[in-house]
Amino acid sequence: MSASATPAPAQGHELEQSMFWIFVQIAMLLAVITGLELVTVYLPFMKWILVSVLVVLSTVKFMFVIFYFMHLRWDRAFCTIVFFIGLVLAAGTMWALLKLFGADASRPLPVTLAHPPAIAPGIA
Amino acid sequence: MEAIAKSDFVPKGEQAAKPLVLWRPMAKAGVLSWLTTVDHKRIGFLYGISGLFFLLVGGVEALLIRVQLAVPNNTFLTSAQYSEMFTMHGTTMIFLVVMPIGAAFFNFVMPLQIGARDVAFPRLNAFSFWTFLVGAIIVNLGWFMKAGAPDAGWVGYTPLTTRTFTPTHAIDMWVMGLQLLGVASIAAALNFIVTIINLRAPGMTMMRLPVFTWMTLFTSFLIILSFPAITIALIELMMDRLFGTNFFEVSNGGLPILWQHLFWIFGHPEVYILILPAMGIISEILPTFSRKPLFGYPIVVFSGASIGLLGFGVWSHHMFTSGLGTVATAAFALMTMAIAVPTGVKIFNWIGTLWGGHLSMRTPMMFALGFLWMFMIGGFSGVMHAAAPADLQQHGSYFIVAHFHYVLIGGSLFALLAGIQYWFPLMFGRRVSEFWGKMSFWLVFIGFNATFFPMHFLGLEGMPRRTYTYDGNMGWNLGNLISSVGAFILAAGVGVYLVTIVYTYFRGARTTRDPWDARTLEWSLQNPVPEYNFRAIPTVHARDGWWYEKRHSAEIEREAGEHAKAEDAHGGIHMPFQSIYPFLASVGILVGAIGTAVVDRADPALYPGFWGPKIAVTLAGGAIMFVSVVLWSLEGCEGYHIHLNDDGSVKGDDARGGYAAGH
Amino acid sequence: MSSDAPAATIDHHFDPTTSTGIPNKKILMWAFLASDCMFFGCLISTHLIYRLHPPPGTLAPRQVFSIELTSFSTFILLMSSLMMALAVNAIQKGNLKSMRWSLLTTIFFGCIFLGCQVYEFRNFVFEKHLTITNSILGSTFFTLTGTHGLHVLVGVIWLTGMLLYSFTGRLTERQAIDVESMGLYWHFVDIVWIVIFTAVYLLEYI
Repeated sequence: MSASATPAPAQGHELEQSMFWIFVQIAMLLAVITGLELVTVYLPFMKWILVSVLVVLSTVKFMFVIFYFMHLRWDRAFCTIVFFIGLVLAAGTMWALLKLFGADASRPLPVTLAHPPAIAPGIA
Repeated sequence: MEAIAKSDFVPKGEQAAKPLVLWRPMAKAGVLSWLTTVDHKRIGFLYGISGLFFLLVGGVEALLIRVQLAVPNNTFLTSAQYSEMFTMHGTTMIFLVVMPIGAAFFNFVMPLQIGARDVAFPRLNAFSFWTFLVGAIIVNLGWFMKAGAPDAGWVGYTPLTTRTFTPTHAIDMWVMGLQLLGVASIAAALNFIVTIINLRAPGMTMMRLPVFTWMTLFTSFLIILSFPAITIALIELMMDRLFGTNFFEVSNGGLPILWQHLFWIFGHPEVYILILPAMGIISEILPTFSRKPLFGYPIVVFSGASIGLLGFGVWSHHMFTSGLGTVATAAFALMTMAIAVPTGVKIFNWIGTLWGGHLSMRTPMMFALGFLWMFMIGGFSGVMHAAAPADLQQHGSYFIVAHFHYVLIGGSLFALLAGIQYWFPLMFGRRVSEFWGKMSFWLVFIGFNATFFPMHFLGLEGMPRRTYTYDGNMGWNLGNLISSVGAFILAAGVGVYLVTIVYTYFRGARTTRDPWDARTLEWSLQNPVPEYNFRAIPTVHARDGWWYEKRHSAEIEREAGEHAKAEDAHGGIHMPFQSIYPFLASVGILVGAIGTAVVDRADPALYPGFWGPKIAVTLAGGAIMFVSVVLWSLEGCEGYHIHLNDDGSVKGDDARGGYAAGH
Repeated sequence: MSSDAPAATIDHHFDPTTSTGIPNKKILMWAFLASDCMFFGCLISTHLIYRLHPPPGTLAPRQVFSIELTSFSTFILLMSSLMMALAVNAIQKGNLKSMRWSLLTTIFFGCIFLGCQVYEFRNFVFEKHLTITNSILGSTFFTLTGTHGLHVLVGVIWLTGMLLYSFTGRLTERQAIDVESMGLYWHFVDIVWIVIFTAVYLLEYI
């Protein structure tokens, strides 16, 4: 028994009574955020602003679901840690992959094979 | 106290509705008992046997490769056969030898080290093994078929593996087999994670875990986090091959380089999946035979963690020659060099453990010291590859071959061989002969170096890997000849090793409890380990738990008595029921995989429309699996209770057990 | 979950029979979800990577997508997540009847989501002429959303199985963890869709 064998904090029980309304309210909030996201894409702002807004809004939705619907908020921290190891690694890998493939060096060669580019023979 | 008696004993009246059980296999011996076993020790044994069998298979493949390369312009193998050999040699040795033997130790040793009676999900554990076996069968099926064995290298680079260039089923089987091996590994790893986190005996805090258990934990995390990448890569390749998608089809905008990235996102952590268990084994053996605690335990643990973490950020160093761009290349080169630091730290910790120790040169210790030295050489050449410009010269040459064999044989395999020798008395109650043990060590050691050291020179002289022959005037003749002779010495060494342990299994000298005077909890058990592991769940008081127990026997005896009483009050020792469904589910997977990967696409004239033999077999397999899984969940995770006589044997009428609700 | 604890005081966030107090099945599920993060991370990356440099002459996703339909099914999946959370809440209080209704609604919403996806796929293939073989967009899009749809399907089957199981009388408050693990899976499918909705659909409209 490494972790202390004390039961979860008492507030967990009090919260359980009002759980139903918490869940309903969060679901409404999520629906509203989804609506906001939809509106966002049609706004005439610069692309990077819109992308940032979308990423932030999605992250907020994501966090609400995992911390409330999936009970991470009331569970022991270990569950959060395990999941976030995977989440952070996945996010990091995605970022690295997109960076790698977005780099100039990864740009595919133009596919105009009918007229081969006029480079010195032997290089191709 | 309730945590000690982990069983969930439900008194008669309160008992919930009985689960839906069609058949409760109770056999304790015979084939059926093995098919239905959920005992982590038996499953570990099965993993070990399979791993050793495939070690022979992969070894024969290696010997054929070395025979072909012994002299220039050899025609012993055709180029096509040679491609099959090196592909299957790599695939076999990585996925079917080092990983399962590692899993054998995870299964057998880890629960004993943390003072548990089994893993957290015993039936899932059985499923992992059977699915592993199915994957191994599928990968190797090609040898017996017209399509031939897979022949596109263990990395399976696209577009070579696409339908255009390899139209036969060989690659389908490789893809499917690897996919299943991934499923099996992930299922097993999830199980180990939960076991280590949740099934520790009282007092076994995380920072008291034996290092081998720590490395099991890290390896398991690496498995669950890296295998999804190859799963995706394999799914995409399979979609390309079966349904004609364009993931790797250049003419339609596909990017074959994406395969390399996804493969190595998996592939590099995989390297650490192969070496971390080895490091764990070494960290158990060196303190035992130096008669000192491990030097710098927390540092060793955290080095393991940082190796695992950094392992996810270095994959592109396998792809320096693919033209990643300057920034990416520099970043991956730096990360790769950084990973040498925690590895070096570990080496120093091991040397620190030896320093001033009272060394006893038994066979496991010989292999462990061999590991230390050989793994260091492999590490040095590894750091050389981290320098991107140097790697451009070494890439695809025998220098690379030399490097990773020093890491995988000199590293992983040496440690696994050490581990088998070390835990053999615990597993089977017999001791391996020192003379033959040491003989096998020296043969393996000399043969290994004779085989692979010349490859460094061959590589720097420009000899490319994966090429089936070479001309006599390249200056590679002598190196190759030495290497081939060495391969046979190595094979002789492995042969002596295997014959010795098989002989010992049947005829070896009986040994007493704790023959090495070891430090960790598994040695507190009588050998061979009884089915229920611990008579009473121990309380752990120190990092080297058994070492403490040996020096505080009165205190421990009193505690053990109390724990046994507490457990009796809860109904006795709780054992999980055996189950056939994990095996049946894997059989379903086997049928489905054969349908997907092996059965030919039928002639559309014969089978117009959707239905055909391929679809039918696949769906039949899926149906078998589905039904098995449903029955599996309906039978529930119940168990029974046993009570022990004073000599540790199970009381007669208890052998079939009473009823207890599972948890 | 020890025998002497009266049913009313089961603490669903603490299991005294384990070292950490977390039920085994919960750790198993969270570790599996961590693994699944990498799974979908790689799959979504694949799609986005191919969107970075689309080959000339292929359909633009905006010409194909129907944002109204997708928004609707996103909303439906969110609501199914709500019902799932309520189902877990109900079984943790031992309210079997309420749990059955919540589960049934979850299944219903899940089926609507799947129906929308089937409709969307048929629409893309037969009217917009985007198939899994004719372009890289088709390959990545159908594989990604199809894999997600397969996860939803597995979830629906699991939910249905649990609903049927609850009528056998073997599902009680003690087994709440079984429903909760299933819920974790279902919510995860939902959050993956949250990411897909943004990364695959909405980003194309900017």
